[in-house]
Amino acid sequence: MIEQEIHHEPKSFIKKYIFSFDHKTIGKQFLWYGIFFLGIGGMMALFIRWTLAYPSDPFPVLGMLMFPENGGIVPPDTYAMLFTLHGTIMIFYAITPILIGAFGNYCIPLMIGARDMIFPTLNMLSFWIAVLSGAILLYSLIIPFGAAAGGWTSYPTLSTLMGSPGHGQTLWLMALFVLGVSSTMGAVNYITTVITLRAPGMGYFDMPLTIWGLWLTAILNAIFLPVLGAGLLLLTFDRLFGTTFFLAGAAATSGSGDPILFQHVFWIFGHPEVYILILPAWGMVSDLLSFFSRKPAFGYKSTALAMTTITVLSTIVYGHHMFTTQMSPLLTQSFMTLTMTISIPSAIFFANWLGTIWRGSVRLHSPMLFALGVVFVFGLGGLTGLYLGTVSTDIYLHDTYFVVGHFHYTMAASVLLGGFAAIYFWFPKMFGRHMSELWAKIHFWFTMIGLNGLFFGMLLIGYAGMHRRIYNPFVYDFLKKLIPLNEFVTIFALIMGFSQIIFVINFIYGLVKGEKAEANPWRVGTLEWSIPSPAPFHNFDTIPHVKCGPHELGNPKLVGRDFQYQTEEIVS
Amino acid sequence: MELDLKNEMLSSGISFWEMIRPPEDISTNGHLIENVFNYTTALNIFYFILVCAGLFGFSYFYHHRRHPRPYYTYGNKKIHLMVTAGIGLAVFFTIDLNITRMSNNDMVNTFWKWPDETKEEVLKVEVLAQQWMWHFRQAGVDGEFNSQDDIVTAHELVVPVDTKLMFQIVSKDVIHSFYVPNARIKVDAMPGRVSRIWMELTKEGTYDIACAEMCGTHHYLMQAKLIVKSKEDYESWKKEAHKLAMQTNDESYPESLWGWKWEN
Repeated sequence: MIEQEIHHEPKSFIKKYIFSFDHKTIGKQFLWYGIFFLGIGGMMALFIRWTLAYPSDPFPVLGMLMFPENGGIVPPDTYAMLFTLHGTIMIFYAITPILIGAFGNYCIPLMIGARDMIFPTLNMLSFWIAVLSGAILLYSLIIPFGAAAGGWTSYPTLSTLMGSPGHGQTLWLMALFVLGVSSTMGAVNYITTVITLRAPGMGYFDMPLTIWGLWLTAILNAIFLPVLGAGLLLLTFDRLFGTTFFLAGAAATSGSGDPILFQHVFWIFGHPEVYILILPAWGMVSDLLSFFSRKPAFGYKSTALAMTTITVLSTIVYGHHMFTTQMSPLLTQSFMTLTMTISIPSAIFFANWLGTIWRGSVRLHSPMLFALGVVFVFGLGGLTGLYLGTVSTDIYLHDTYFVVGHFHYTMAASVLLGGFAAIYFWFPKMFGRHMSELWAKIHFWFTMIGLNGLFFGMLLIGYAGMHRRIYNPFVYDFLKKLIPLNEFVTIFALIMGFSQIIFVINFIYGLVKGEKAEANPWRVGTLEWSIPSPAPFHNFDTIPHVKCGPHELGNPKLVGRDFQYQTEEIVS
Repeated sequence: MELDLKNEMLSSGISFWEMIRPPEDISTNGHLIENVFNYTTALNIFYFILVCAGLFGFSYFYHHRRHPRPYYTYGNKKIHLMVTAGIGLAVFFTIDLNITRMSNNDMVNTFWKWPDETKEEVLKVEVLAQQWMWHFRQAGVDGEFNSQDDIVTAHELVVPVDTKLMFQIVSKDVIHSFYVPNARIKVDAMPGRVSRIWMELTKEGTYDIACAEMCGTHHYLMQAKLIVKSKEDYESWKKEAHKLAMQTNDESYPESLWGWKWEN
């Protein structure tokens, strides 16, 4: 067992709040970072939606400030930068920091009964390197020729010098490479912490499912971020040093490479990335459904094993992103069949999630509402994936808004709702105060309405044939009928966007004036709730000894309360 | 202009269901894709209703006010595990295996089964994509590509109805995607490699061809018209085009001819 010393809490402001080694502070720093970028990425989404619904109308208020030379209308080149950065920011700078950076850091040591991460310095560096990466990305917005505009996938040869002159794309590559370094540091830290610092008595199958999700995510991150890094670096070489790894056609003046090679490298990383984002949310949902149904997680072990299975499967299905590049039929068939097997563990999740609330005693507090919301939207997201894993339907739907709707349901809606569930659930432990429950519920319903109108609308628009990343769809005759539907979707985007103001106000109000939280407001037994709120600097005065699983709720033999802490023997 | 369009749309009284229909299918194979789509949709709706029934039903009936004492179970009993595994396998066998089989059959028997020139009439078309336009080339009277009588058009593709069309597609600069919504087909146009598709169109008229892969600032303007003519009209168009080709194409200057010898 590793000895965990008790350090003294630093007194200076800089050591305490800026360059902190404390996993809880770093977690909060990642939370601010993620919410900041979530705001920026969300604004970009509104610009995109506005342009699609009203291509020749100026964006209200902000349009005149940002594009005065264009009468307040978003210009086409800016539009390309907007959707490129919207994707990049949401995936790498908003969702990753919130779910993995903030809650990974905050929850892992607390939930496994450790005093800190195993490598605190690496942890601190991982945050500040992420800040450097964010700064590089934001700087690319204000340089001549503007930021990257080749889509978040940045396929060459569009992303090489011939398609994207200027430094925007290079800075984008650098920013993501640096962020990859940061995330890899985090991943190594998480994996090692979970393996070495679990409290005595805590086996892998005594860990909360949140930890399972975060741990599997970290493993995928550690394996596949270097692959992305390699691809980004090769592309950077193509741009800066005249190599031709990904150049072909007219641009390849000195020998030619293959642009498809980049797609392979990108999606070898890119498909696991989808699961990197969703696994923590799955874990949290599995825990929250159990906590708020007051009964043990149904089929805990099969949920954990299904998550592990998906983690493994996610590494061998990436080719379904490339069906239209005409890989060999054998590869296409293999990737289609492998992709379909993901249904089995996914269906097992759903069975277990519904099994958890089946005959429970359901309390619809805000974290539970968001967790149930994840089940709903992930159902839609998962089922719509079937069309895209099938080669023949994908031929029609590839690169249409159907794909956009599908991945927003899985990556944006599920993960965002999971992130909100986590924020509402752990807020009392993080800050020692409560957010307003009423406003949390109002936030939930507005978000759900906005999000479903928005993303389901995208599915319909895509089925009707509208392709992605076009500035003005209505130059095409076959898309003219979609004008009213695009407006409808934009209205729901605005509803979703504006309802986040409720969240921000509630969050700030909770921080400053929220009701003081007790140690265990949700009455659950995982280790972080056995210590005071907010969690003290050393987390645990004495390292706890774990004697039972994380979901001991509703045991009829319990007297006085309906849950027991993980440090207690099961009552029987 | 947008406003006029909108009014036109509203006054034309198009219903919601018509709006979300894919564009009219004018190909012999498009219905295959829709069959798989519809099969998937039917079963998806079934399973999603099950999920919703559980989600809303359990949240309602087992709400703590109606059901204060939860059932204490880990869900690890044999019967529970069997039900869970059963659901997983049911989904896999009813949806996944079936759509994989259907789709694979469609691909192998139709979409990947290239028409045989020796047995039937086939029109070959070469497509060159570039930022931000489409070029089309037909072999002309001599049936040979890269010769003086090639019929080269930009922005519009004229083809006969009820004839098998084979396309070879490349890109000059960045990756594009040749997208014919009315035939439910798309394939990437890539620099450095030739991609292939075939289709047979069944209805005369003018349709859209779009670029489906992000290819730069004016990606959205990269469109062309697909003009499907009756066989007689096509022949007379081809005669005119041949005359024009003989006048304008310069055989002594091969660089002006971007085409390639048809790759078998």
